[in-house]
Amino acid sequence: MAQLFSPGADAIYRLALLTGVACLAGIPIVAAGIVRSDYVTGVGIAPAQPVPFSHKHHSGELGVDCRYCHTTVETQATAGIPPTHTCMTCHSQIWTGSDMLKPVRDSFARDEPLQWVRLNKLPSYVYYNHSVHVTKGIGCSTCHGDVTSMQMTYRANAFEMQFCLDCHRDPAKYVRPQDQVWNMTWKPPANQATLGPELVAKNHIQGGERLTECAICHR
Amino acid sequence: MTGHHDIGAIRARLASGDGPSFWRSLDAVADTAEFRSYLEAEFPAAARLAAAPERRGFLKLMAASFALAGLSACDSGDGRHNELPYVNAPERIVPGAPLSYASSALFDGFANGILVTTRNGRPLKIEGNPDHPWSRGGTDILAQASVLGLYDPFRSQAVQHIGRPSSWAAFQGAMLAQMPVWQAKGGEGLALLTGPVTSPSLQAEIARMRETYPAMRWYVSAGVARDSLYDGAKRAFGRPVETLLDFTSARTIVALDGDILDLGPGQVGLSRRWSEARKASYAAGHLLTLHAAAATPTLTSAKADYAVAVPGARMEALARDLLSLAEGGSASSADGASEAWLKRAFAALNEARGAGIVTAGLCGSPELHALVHRLNGALGNAGTTVRHTAPAQAIGAGALRDLSTAMAEGSVETLIVLGVNPVYEAPGALGFAQAMERVPLKIHTGLYYDETAAHSDWHLPLAHPLESWGDARSLDGTVSLVQPTVAPLYNGRSANEMLAFLDRGTIANGLDLLKRQMRGGSEDDTAFQARFEDALRSGFLPDSAAKPETMALTASGPAPTVAPSSDDAIEVVFRPDPTVWDGTLADLGWLQELPKPLTKIVWENVVGISPKLAERRSLANGDIVRIAADGHAIEGPAWITPGQAENTVSLSLGYGRDVPDHLSRGLGYDANALRPAMDPWLLAGATLEKTGRRRLPATTQDLGTMEGMDLVRVQRQGAEPVGDTKAYELASFYPKPAAAGRGATAAWAMAIDLDACIGCNACITACQSENNIPVVGREEVERGRWMGWLRVDRYYAGDLDAPDTHFQPVPCMHCENAPCEVGCPVEATLHDSEGLNLQVYNRCVGTRTCQSYCPYKVRRFNYLDYTGDMPAVAQQQRNPDVTVRARGVMEKCTYCVQRIAAARIDSAKDAHAPIPDGTVETACQGACPTRAITFGNLSDPESQVNKARGDGRNYALLGDLNTRPRTTYLASLAPAAREG
Repeated sequence: MAQLFSPGADAIYRLALLTGVACLAGIPIVAAGIVRSDYVTGVGIAPAQPVPFSHKHHSGELGVDCRYCHTTVETQATAGIPPTHTCMTCHSQIWTGSDMLKPVRDSFARDEPLQWVRLNKLPSYVYYNHSVHVTKGIGCSTCHGDVTSMQMTYRANAFEMQFCLDCHRDPAKYVRPQDQVWNMTWKPPANQATLGPELVAKNHIQGGERLTECAICHR
Repeated sequence: MTGHHDIGAIRARLASGDGPSFWRSLDAVADTAEFRSYLEAEFPAAARLAAAPERRGFLKLMAASFALAGLSACDSGDGRHNELPYVNAPERIVPGAPLSYASSALFDGFANGILVTTRNGRPLKIEGNPDHPWSRGGTDILAQASVLGLYDPFRSQAVQHIGRPSSWAAFQGAMLAQMPVWQAKGGEGLALLTGPVTSPSLQAEIARMRETYPAMRWYVSAGVARDSLYDGAKRAFGRPVETLLDFTSARTIVALDGDILDLGPGQVGLSRRWSEARKASYAAGHLLTLHAAAATPTLTSAKADYAVAVPGARMEALARDLLSLAEGGSASSADGASEAWLKRAFAALNEARGAGIVTAGLCGSPELHALVHRLNGALGNAGTTVRHTAPAQAIGAGALRDLSTAMAEGSVETLIVLGVNPVYEAPGALGFAQAMERVPLKIHTGLYYDETAAHSDWHLPLAHPLESWGDARSLDGTVSLVQPTVAPLYNGRSANEMLAFLDRGTIANGLDLLKRQMRGGSEDDTAFQARFEDALRSGFLPDSAAKPETMALTASGPAPTVAPSSDDAIEVVFRPDPTVWDGTLADLGWLQELPKPLTKIVWENVVGISPKLAERRSLANGDIVRIAADGHAIEGPAWITPGQAENTVSLSLGYGRDVPDHLSRGLGYDANALRPAMDPWLLAGATLEKTGRRRLPATTQDLGTMEGMDLVRVQRQGAEPVGDTKAYELASFYPKPAAAGRGATAAWAMAIDLDACIGCNACITACQSENNIPVVGREEVERGRWMGWLRVDRYYAGDLDAPDTHFQPVPCMHCENAPCEVGCPVEATLHDSEGLNLQVYNRCVGTRTCQSYCPYKVRRFNYLDYTGDMPAVAQQQRNPDVTVRARGVMEKCTYCVQRIAAARIDSAKDAHAPIPDGTVETACQGACPTRAITFGNLSDPESQVNKARGDGRNYALLGDLNTRPRTTYLASLAPAAREG
């Protein structure tokens, strides 16, 4: 009677077993990789917008201040999306016939809002307040990246809890002098290690574990 | 629980002293094995699930929850894919920032000053207007719930003609054809039916309409009319007056079926003044005592120092006895308990001649009111503590029964119903609906397509008070303005606009009509505009309150002979419902699920019976009884009500609504069916029968039963302080609050004055509105899943037939040594450095251990998804600053952490400047008409809450557990000694 199993059967069996174990072990690793991937978090992906608005052109090249459009960033929880009227302050005078700007003119003429695709979104149980962050010396680019270099705007950071806590645990790493808050290309200077704690004290940023207490963000 | 009790045994247990000194329910006194197991089960609902291990059902549930768990992982369609900015940003509206408007909440036509908080153009929350001279910052449950009324999905949304969708244009067309006919006849056959009118502009509109149609008849209908009050004044003074009470100099109050603290147009203003006077009088060493006689317990009799149950039919005799004593005669008819009460009440009044108050309520008879006026006159109270002003309500309209007669005679050709629902409200004996059939043209305007709408040819949606311009008077006559906070959601028109159209045939704007009313003759445009804007900003016209007048009593008629009633005859008293009032707003889930202050019943009305009657007829809670009189009958579940007069049965209005598809349909019985046409509050000679069926009403009275001593404390005038701060001297690892100053850590705390708490429930509704608390429905409440973060416990003490009643609001105690935190396996509940006991919804996995560790039982669990399937329009009301909780998480009072956070962020932006005392006001605190709740920072030595904690009455609930609660209580007050 012929052998049922070839001499290599054991090896194949072991290999299959090992592969199985490796796959099982790999699933969480792959899954963790996927949920952190840009595909899922949307980081670096610029969605199509009704108007191909360029922050690079307006803010970077022309030097329009962030607060010209995002008017409530220093006073309110939200920074504010500019009304069509704000676009039309300039574009009723320049590029008045541009095809690219047709949706803006239509919005203004028909009194219908532009429908921008949302880039930055926090879970509904997280309460973020722009005004207190900019008052305390946290700059726009810390969260939003260098918007002045973005031709089309994309999400610069995945706003996961880890990201927020990194700063809330040690704000000294990120806090800037007040005149640098709106500087999109700010990089921590070499002396941030000494400057940071000074700014934290000067800006009355609460230390210890206060900023990591749950009710600071969750209500 | 079964509801079956041996009342004799309960009475014996209470009398022997073995029973609890403060008790919530008969079950608790009886202390049955069943009640024990209810307490031990901790989560009655979980116990029920566990008790029925049905394999198939379990597997189905598991499969469903796995499938749903998979679905819930997908987070794509949360409706936040796009961002829509304004095209032209409106002035003043900053996206996301709250903006308040001064306006008025209307209660049966009477105004209370409110501030409407709007956000992104949507009204979200009602706060009291602290500057308003009448309401002074307090609110009641109806005002708090009015914001839900605006977004109510059951509201009428379209014009309907003979039950079919139509349009305003079609209606206008039809009316323009009609109006020449009315004019030609001078308004003959035209009848206008409104609710009580206090609004000067609406009065002017009606007057204008009567000029156009001189023969038009005007009638007023209200579920709870003030007729008997005005009729009583007519008997005593010869003309109708409003009676205002001045508690500041008063030394005693005697309420005969009084309602000074009960839900009603006067509740907010009167209860505030009463509690202030009571506090001041206690400090001065002579407590302002309240003596109350009532047929069925009310908030006023519950807060009374001396209460007695007296049948409604004997109330006049009691008043007559008091009058005869006051005039130097003798009392004739009192007996037993009421005699002792009468003696004491008269002694107090006699001692305080010129500084006493005798008062009767809306449900008193005209004769009772007349007697009360004579009593106040005889005692010298009139003009000092009791003042009379011209009525705030417009007088001169016909009564509903006259309209009914006119319609039945066929003399009404066109009936215009403006914002009332007479088909439901009219006493059954009037046969209003049948009479209405004889009217050829019936036009109904209302917030809801209700019973009257269904009987009408035209139904037109009325604009909600939060959507319209208008004005109204408060009880003291102050003219308050109503301004819109949002454009009408359903194209409704206001009452003023409707009348202006029917009068002149043109579409008028409510704002123009209001301006026209307010405009003085000689005023120029700028001056008027400035004055108008000032009035809008403050919400009322300054110094517009009615001036007190001196009234002369007329000669009194002879006392009628009262037929002695037999022991078996049942007397029925009708009372407005303490949460849904007359049923106008019965479609609001917040009001339906609000436990009635005394019975704690939700979602229906019951037949209140006395313990003695229950014993005699062997009735138990939940036995369906049939109350019949004059060929009409109603059936409802009996409920044993301690403190009710023996042969009196109490029925409450507002239920038994019958509008297809509405929330209120099929809840409770319709007491209006039994109401006599002549005396709407009392019915003698009814019969009560047991039907043999049973159905226990849903009640929350045992929900969150705490076990311990001294839950409620009473401070007698002049006695040793009953408060104690011992709880705070026990050893603790918790650091002491830091001293105040820039950057100092706050230590939030609350103090609740049990004496000021009148059990009105405004705090619960405000909390519900502020914190997105879901309505769960009757069945879920029966399973012990009522979701309110704040409950008001009602305790009885002493005798079953005449108990003392106490109210105790119980929010989260924010214990410094919180037992709940020890139990949580995932640290979803934990402390922050300001002493708040936080609940982190996104961490919570729903083990419910925290609730079982909580000695105060203040935590609530989302057993089901109570929020997901809410109608989209109702979701508009949600507070964007508070997370909407998902299924499977625990929730509880947060001390309104979102309001603290807002103040904290403002302070942080200002280099952590100290937050001034009073900046953070919790929702419950803001709503409270009597300011029973103080909230603030313990580390600020000057804060109000610190002062309250220093009071000798201050005590911690279950303080001996060393939980060190941040919420403490001030003991209730009682007069020095209780003789007799």
